[in-house]
Amino acid sequence: MIYPLQVVFILVSAVTLGAALMVVTTRNMVRAALWLVLALFGVAILFVLLEAGFFAVAQVIIYIGAIAILMIFAVMLTRRIAQDPGPQLNSTWPIAAVIALLVFGLIVFLVQVWDRAASLPPPLPQGFAPLQELGVALVSADRYLIPFEIASVLLLAALIGAIVVAWERK
Amino acid sequence: MWADRLAVLPVIVIGAWAVLLTVADLYIPEHRRRITAILAALGLIVGLVVNLFIQRHNPQTAYFGLAIADGFSSFLNVLFLLSGLLGIAVAHGYLQRQNIARSEYYSLLLFSISGMMLMGMAADLIIVFIALELLSIPLYVMAGFHRDRLDSEEAALKYFLLGAFAGGFVVYGIALIYGATGSTRIAAILSAVQSGSASPILLTVGAALILVGLGFKVAAVPFHMWTPDVYQGAPSSVTAFMAVGAKAAGFAALLRVFLLAFPTLSDKLVPLLWALAALTMIVGNIVAIVQSNIKRLLAYSSIAHAGYILMATVTLGQSRLMADAAAAALFYLLAYLLTNFGAWAVVIALEREEGKGLSIQDYAGLGKKYPALAAAMSVFMLSLIGVPPTVGFLGKFYLFRAVLEGGFVGLAVIGVLTSLVSAYYYLRVVVVMYMQEGEPVVNRDALLHWTAALSAIAVLALSLFATPLFQWATQATLYAAQ
Repeated sequence: MIYPLQVVFILVSAVTLGAALMVVTTRNMVRAALWLVLALFGVAILFVLLEAGFFAVAQVIIYIGAIAILMIFAVMLTRRIAQDPGPQLNSTWPIAAVIALLVFGLIVFLVQVWDRAASLPPPLPQGFAPLQELGVALVSADRYLIPFEIASVLLLAALIGAIVVAWERK
Repeated sequence: MWADRLAVLPVIVIGAWAVLLTVADLYIPEHRRRITAILAALGLIVGLVVNLFIQRHNPQTAYFGLAIADGFSSFLNVLFLLSGLLGIAVAHGYLQRQNIARSEYYSLLLFSISGMMLMGMAADLIIVFIALELLSIPLYVMAGFHRDRLDSEEAALKYFLLGAFAGGFVVYGIALIYGATGSTRIAAILSAVQSGSASPILLTVGAALILVGLGFKVAAVPFHMWTPDVYQGAPSSVTAFMAVGAKAAGFAALLRVFLLAFPTLSDKLVPLLWALAALTMIVGNIVAIVQSNIKRLLAYSSIAHAGYILMATVTLGQSRLMADAAAAALFYLLAYLLTNFGAWAVVIALEREEGKGLSIQDYAGLGKKYPALAAAMSVFMLSLIGVPPTVGFLGKFYLFRAVLEGGFVGLAVIGVLTSLVSAYYYLRVVVVMYMQEGEPVVNRDALLHWTAALSAIAVLALSLFATPLFQWATQATLYAAQ
């Protein structure tokens, strides 16, 4: 018995994986960035299928709207030729492929033995506003204030670091 | 509410100081960069005072149980703040000589230290991950501070890529553990593991992935490949700080997470940790023999020392011993901090522009021309080998004792044998300094010479007061191990 949702899931996953493969195989950097947009969009649709609307929107706005577009800007600004002429595989790729397959097998095995994977999570109670809860949890001292604040400090440190790295010398 | 803030106050002080320093620096004229360095050092001293002032004997969790302030974290805070102070002392003159002085260096240093301190206070795997990133990102930038030199750029890029990779391992491990136990809180993971409701396979794979990620950070073999290149390419003052601070932070998380959350997985994890420690000691010490560049030599030495500290983790699951072993690891880190900073201060004193003065041959004749500096370097080399009466000897002594009590005779034998091997390359530096003729060039940098001198005195003197120091470390870890 195949549900329509499963068909959608398989199609979206295939498109996401195919686009991700194109990101690393295409030689043109701008095209790679555009394939990345497609891959990220596929992930956003997966979030929709999981009924995680907020994550889907965040995925589109942050990853596609900001990060991928920034990447395209960076490629265009820094590279005169947006092509990668070098070889795409190095001599150790068979080992890497074997390891990747082994890890994939391990993950499949882990999901098989993981009892929680088979059980559906309980539905959310009536009137529960996940977005509001998330927002409140991030800024309440008795919830996740500390990681939120550290992440802010982390971003500031990264910002200063980026300026140090990129700033023109006098 | 206020109790929460008080518990994490040392981190708040350092984090806020870093932000304020960045702003205050705008008003400090460029030729007075010394003021920025002094302000940064002042912040670290304030942090130290606050840390000693609020030192508590009862562990206290703060902010929804995500952070914990206990003896373990306050001992480590002292370690991180001291390494920051020494890091500033060796950096100030060096950066100017190398013509790479920028005041952001000190803000980044403080940010990194705040991340390290959080690492020691983490009671939740989420905090472990964010603190890891907070301590690493400033270090990536600092490794590339020498932008004119390709090897510094290479160091920054290599460290960044492998660090990001390591971060990915840690997150994956955390995700699997969350999947197995339904929580990222260390206490909750422990109770889930003990009640047997968590899948042991998922847990073991998760723990192993976290071990891989932290193994990168502490430079354990086989995750050490980046270390020699990064340590060599990064500005020496950064390397000195990185070798101690990042290592201590990695071990803080390793000890806290593994000893607290996974004691019941010991039958699966102990062989892994055993092999990791043995490999790290053997490879680090043996590859160090053939190094002719002092920075690379110290890089491999730092790998080897990670192996010694890793020995403490094989007592996992032996609840009676874990506190002692963790205390031995903390003591060892303190000994390593003093010895390592001293040795790097000497290295920086001899380093000239364009990376000259870094080969071991450049140390020839140091014993004759600069007897005090050569004597200090000899003390550090002896302490790195672990010869009495240095603090390095006691560090090894406590560690080996804990390992032997745990019944790991084989590992202790490997430790002793590799220490003997290490004597060869450490003593070679001493031999070159005293037995060979040469015209060493030494920078006139009073701060550097004071750092070397005080570290040498501390390395010798603390070996006399080792017992109270070790007791302090034991008290620090008793609560952490409960």
